[in-house]
Amino acid sequence: MEPAEVEFLAEKELVTIVPNFSLDRIHLIGGDLGPFNPGLPVEVPVWLAINLKQRQKCRLIPPEWMDVGKLEEIRDQERKEDTFTPMPSPYYMELTKLLLNYASDNIPRADEIRTLVKDTWDTRMAKLRLSADSFVRQQEAHAKLDNLTLMEINTTGAFLTQALDHMYKLRTNLQPGEGSHSQDF
Amino acid sequence: MAEAYFPVGPGLGMEENFLSLDDILMSQEKLPGRADSALPRLAVLMGQGAGSAESVPEGSKLEIPLWLAKGLNDSKRRIISVELPKIYKEAWRTVFSADANVVDLHKMGPYYYGFGSQLLNFENPENPEIAQTILQAMTLCSLQTFIARFRRIMDSSQNAYNEDTSALVARLDELERALFQVGQKGLNDFQCWEKGQASQITASSLVQNYGKRKLTEVD
Repeated sequence: MEPAEVEFLAEKELVTIVPNFSLDRIHLIGGDLGPFNPGLPVEVPVWLAINLKQRQKCRLIPPEWMDVGKLEEIRDQERKEDTFTPMPSPYYMELTKLLLNYASDNIPRADEIRTLVKDTWDTRMAKLRLSADSFVRQQEAHAKLDNLTLMEINTTGAFLTQALDHMYKLRTNLQPGEGSHSQDF
Repeated sequence: MAEAYFPVGPGLGMEENFLSLDDILMSQEKLPGRADSALPRLAVLMGQGAGSAESVPEGSKLEIPLWLAKGLNDSKRRIISVELPKIYKEAWRTVFSADANVVDLHKMGPYYYGFGSQLLNFENPENPEIAQTILQAMTLCSLQTFIARFRRIMDSSQNAYNEDTSALVARLDELERALFQVGQKGLNDFQCWEKGQASQITASSLVQNYGKRKLTEVD
C-alpha cells in the first residue's frame, strides 16, 4: 500500500466547513451531505472540503485537536510513556498535511502545528523501531499495537513483516521433519 | 513497472524455490567434500586427470557446487561426504556470537543465510546425532546473527534518506540487502508523499525508456 492510498482513506474523515454558497441537500452513495447555507457550519468529508476550498467556496474550521496547546500535551504524553498513546485522529498525519497544505490561512499558528505533529511522528517512529527491535530480540511471535495509525504501520509494515518472515523460516529450520519434505529419489 | 513484476523470491529453508534466480545462484556456491567411492570417468571434470577414462579415486578432496552435492548426497549409498564450510564452523560461530554487526557477510556469503539453511540437508552418515547438533548450532547461530543485525539494517534503511547507501549495504548478505531495499522503499514513499510528489503524475519509466531507445536506434 502506498502513502497516497492511505491518504485516500484519510480523505473520508469529516471536517467542518463554513460555505459561502447555498445548495440543497445532496445525496451521495456514501451518505447525504448538506444542506449548505452561507455562513452556517456543516460537516463534509475532507476531499470535498479541499475541493470547495480550492474553488474558494468555503472557509475551513480546523478540527478540535489541531491546536497548539493540545498538540503540545499529546507530544509530551507520547514522550513520557513507553507504549503508544492514543492519537486524536486515526489519520492525524494525513489530515495535518492536507489541511495545512490547502487551508493554512484558516488554521491559526499553522507552522507550530506542523512542527508539533512532526515531533510527535518522529517520537512514535523511534518508539516503533525500539519496540520492533526488542520484539525481534525476544523472538516473539505476536504483538499488540493498539494505537498505531495506518500511516505509521504502512511505512515500516513491509519491512517488519518481511524480516519476521525470514526469522520464522530460520527458526523453523531448526525443527527437523517439520515443514521440510525429504527429497529421496 | 516494478509493481507488475513479481520475481520468484528465495526459499530460505531446507527447500529452495525451483524458479528463484537467487536460489539458483546460491546453489552453485562450492562446498568442500570428499569422494566416498571412486567416480569413474569424471577425473577430467574435477581437474585431476588427463584421460577421459580416468576415475576420481576414493577419498579425494572435492569442491562441489551445492546443487550437485545435494543430488549425490544419500545416507544409504555413500558417494560423497560433505563438510561444513569454515564460516559455519565453531570458530566463526564464536566470532558471530561475539558481535554479529562487525562481520562482512557479503564477503563470506553472499548468501549466508540461504546457503546455511541448505546445509541442513546434509547429514553426516557416520554420526547423525553429532552432525545434527552441529547443524542445529549453526542454524541457531545464523538466527542469532540475523537478530543481532536486524536493528542496524532497520535503522540504516529507514534513516538514510537521499544518501549514498552503498557503504551501508556493502557488508550485508543478499537476503539482508533485499530487506534493506524494502525499508528504503517505505521511507522513500513516505517522504515523497510528505513533499507532495506523490500527487504529481509522472510518465511511467517504461515510456521514458521507450523514448530513449528510439533515439539511440536513430543514431
